[in-house]
Amino acid sequence: MNSPNPTAVAEAPPETPPRRRPIRLPQDRHAIVDSFFRFQSLFGLVAVFVIAIAVSPVRNGESVFLSSGNLANIVRAVSEIGIIAVGMTFVILIGGIDLSVGAVLGLAAVGSATLMVDSGMAIMPTVLIVLFIGTAFGATQGAIVARLGIQSFIVTLAGLQAARGIARMWSGGLGIPIAYGDGPQEAPQAFSMLSGSINGILPVPALLFLAIGVGALLVLRSTAFARHVYAIGGNEKAARLSGVPVRRVRITVFAISGLLAALAGIIHAGQLNQGSPNDGAGYELDAIAAVVIGGTSLAGGSGSMGGTIAGALLLGILNNILALNNIDANVQLVVKGLVIVAAAALQKLRPRIA
Amino acid sequence: MRYARRAATILALAALVATSACSVEDDPGSSSDASAKCGSGKDFLIGMSQANNAEPYRQVMNDDVTNAAKSVPGFKVVVSDAAQDNSKQVADVENFLSQGINLLIISPNEAKPLTAVVKKAYDQGIPVIVLDRKVEGDAYTAFIGGDNVAIGKAAGEYYAKTLLPQGGKVVEISGLPGSTPAAERAQGFREGIASNPKIEIVASQTAEWLREKGQSVMDAMLKANPDIDAVYSHNDPMAEGAYLAAKAAGKETAIKFTGIDALPVPSGGIKAVEQGRLQATFQYPTGGREAIDLAKKILVDCAKDVPKTTTLGTQQITKENAAEVYTTLGGKQ
Repeated sequence: MNSPNPTAVAEAPPETPPRRRPIRLPQDRHAIVDSFFRFQSLFGLVAVFVIAIAVSPVRNGESVFLSSGNLANIVRAVSEIGIIAVGMTFVILIGGIDLSVGAVLGLAAVGSATLMVDSGMAIMPTVLIVLFIGTAFGATQGAIVARLGIQSFIVTLAGLQAARGIARMWSGGLGIPIAYGDGPQEAPQAFSMLSGSINGILPVPALLFLAIGVGALLVLRSTAFARHVYAIGGNEKAARLSGVPVRRVRITVFAISGLLAALAGIIHAGQLNQGSPNDGAGYELDAIAAVVIGGTSLAGGSGSMGGTIAGALLLGILNNILALNNIDANVQLVVKGLVIVAAAALQKLRPRIA
Repeated sequence: MRYARRAATILALAALVATSACSVEDDPGSSSDASAKCGSGKDFLIGMSQANNAEPYRQVMNDDVTNAAKSVPGFKVVVSDAAQDNSKQVADVENFLSQGINLLIISPNEAKPLTAVVKKAYDQGIPVIVLDRKVEGDAYTAFIGGDNVAIGKAAGEYYAKTLLPQGGKVVEISGLPGSTPAAERAQGFREGIASNPKIEIVASQTAEWLREKGQSVMDAMLKANPDIDAVYSHNDPMAEGAYLAAKAAGKETAIKFTGIDALPVPSGGIKAVEQGRLQATFQYPTGGREAIDLAKKILVDCAKDVPKTTTLGTQQITKENAAEVYTTLGGKQ
């Protein structure tokens, strides 16, 4: 076969006479490297996807991984973490962190179940009240961070405890089962669509995750709010001096995080037919992992929403393919740890462009 | 392109780690099918969905399942750990279904959230054995579990006839309030001691199943009731914690301690009995071996009618039989 020899191209002598100091354009070189790093999670996602196809078990001559049912399961399984991670991205971009999201998810799940089952409310008011609770909870944390200048790690750590406590008080410490029907102590049947699929293919939670992800991606691309978020994360003092309403943006960012955590909680209740006050424990760490794998710096100021979405999907595919291959649960934890470190290491390698 | 090269190296390494981890085992799904017929001489893939590996009792349950399966030719067990997360356990079962398991064993984290996915498996014609905690409805093949009332009663009768035949003051250290095992172990104990009216429960406090809380609760109860004769604890770790508190007060020989669970592990109650800290403990069986026995009946022997509910008995462990039971239950030395 006449395949071209790649080394021949590389060894070809330059046509111009060699200069003593060849002038390189740093922007050009950096542009390629930088775009690699900018889309590292996308490359990672493609890489993991390809690996997953390669190592997927085969059943009846078909790849188990690529079967439509399995792909739907993957997106469904990451949808809650993914939605939380979208909110977390905003928070991390301003250099903050939100540890309360898992507990807010539990609180929202309890709220959804209690309002519909015990209080007999319809779906719309239930959803609006629960989303309001989540937003208000987030905004309160944001206000404490912005007004009192306490680190968001501390404020949201306290928020985690508080939300968990409120959820346990509200539910009496036990999960509230959701039965569907028109009678008393029953939730409207339509709520169960959260555990269903559109045309039997696309799970509803997955659709919500993708819709919210794309929405947030557009917001972060082209709004003044997004520029303020990046400015605060990059250099808060400079941002304030150039007229960015730092406090308001802070509060808004935490409110968004609380809102999306509450939405994930509603989905959680709908998928599991139960609102349990203990659910969502540790979800904040999975969401942070998705953001980090997505290439967003915990120092704030740099990162992308597309990266987070890719990061969440990558984690989902990784969980799935490890499970499909029956990798020991403890080994799975180690592999996930390695992937997170590898993603963070790639960020460290990213060249700083002055 | 120094950065790019280093980045590429790391990415390649990560990919290598992922691939090598993934290729540890060959694809078990290829040989099996959900609709595979029963019979001997065939290979069967069994999915074991565990609620939380971090609890010693559940780790022992996994060990019982995998060890029992080793003696059945053709059985291959894969275990998943939901880490106490209902959503994760739903995804675990979904993954098992994608792989084409022939039988599902599940110990659900909670009943309601797992009911739908268990029904999904059952409706696909996959036999489902539910262990220890139930799911709602009857869309499963069989349930195997212990009887906490009977265990509590056995403990109570031991108190009435053997431990305190002359009567005495007993304090109870109970499990998590609101949990079914705690309520049933309390109820059964009261039924068991009823035959000896001279036994009096002078105090009952919760230590939420935890050893460290057993210690602090016992500290407080010793101050309030200095003349305690025995401590009835709803599990072994709390009894061990109470023992430590009594020892700190110099009363560890004057007071008798009993526990429940009797896990065959070095930190479990059987060893505590053997080493003399506890007077007795009562086995709360995992049902792991029984599940594999049942799976063998369904898959290999083609049994059509298996009991829908199997209630497992308990076993009293005292110093006389501790070492023997420990070995029988497969405990590691």
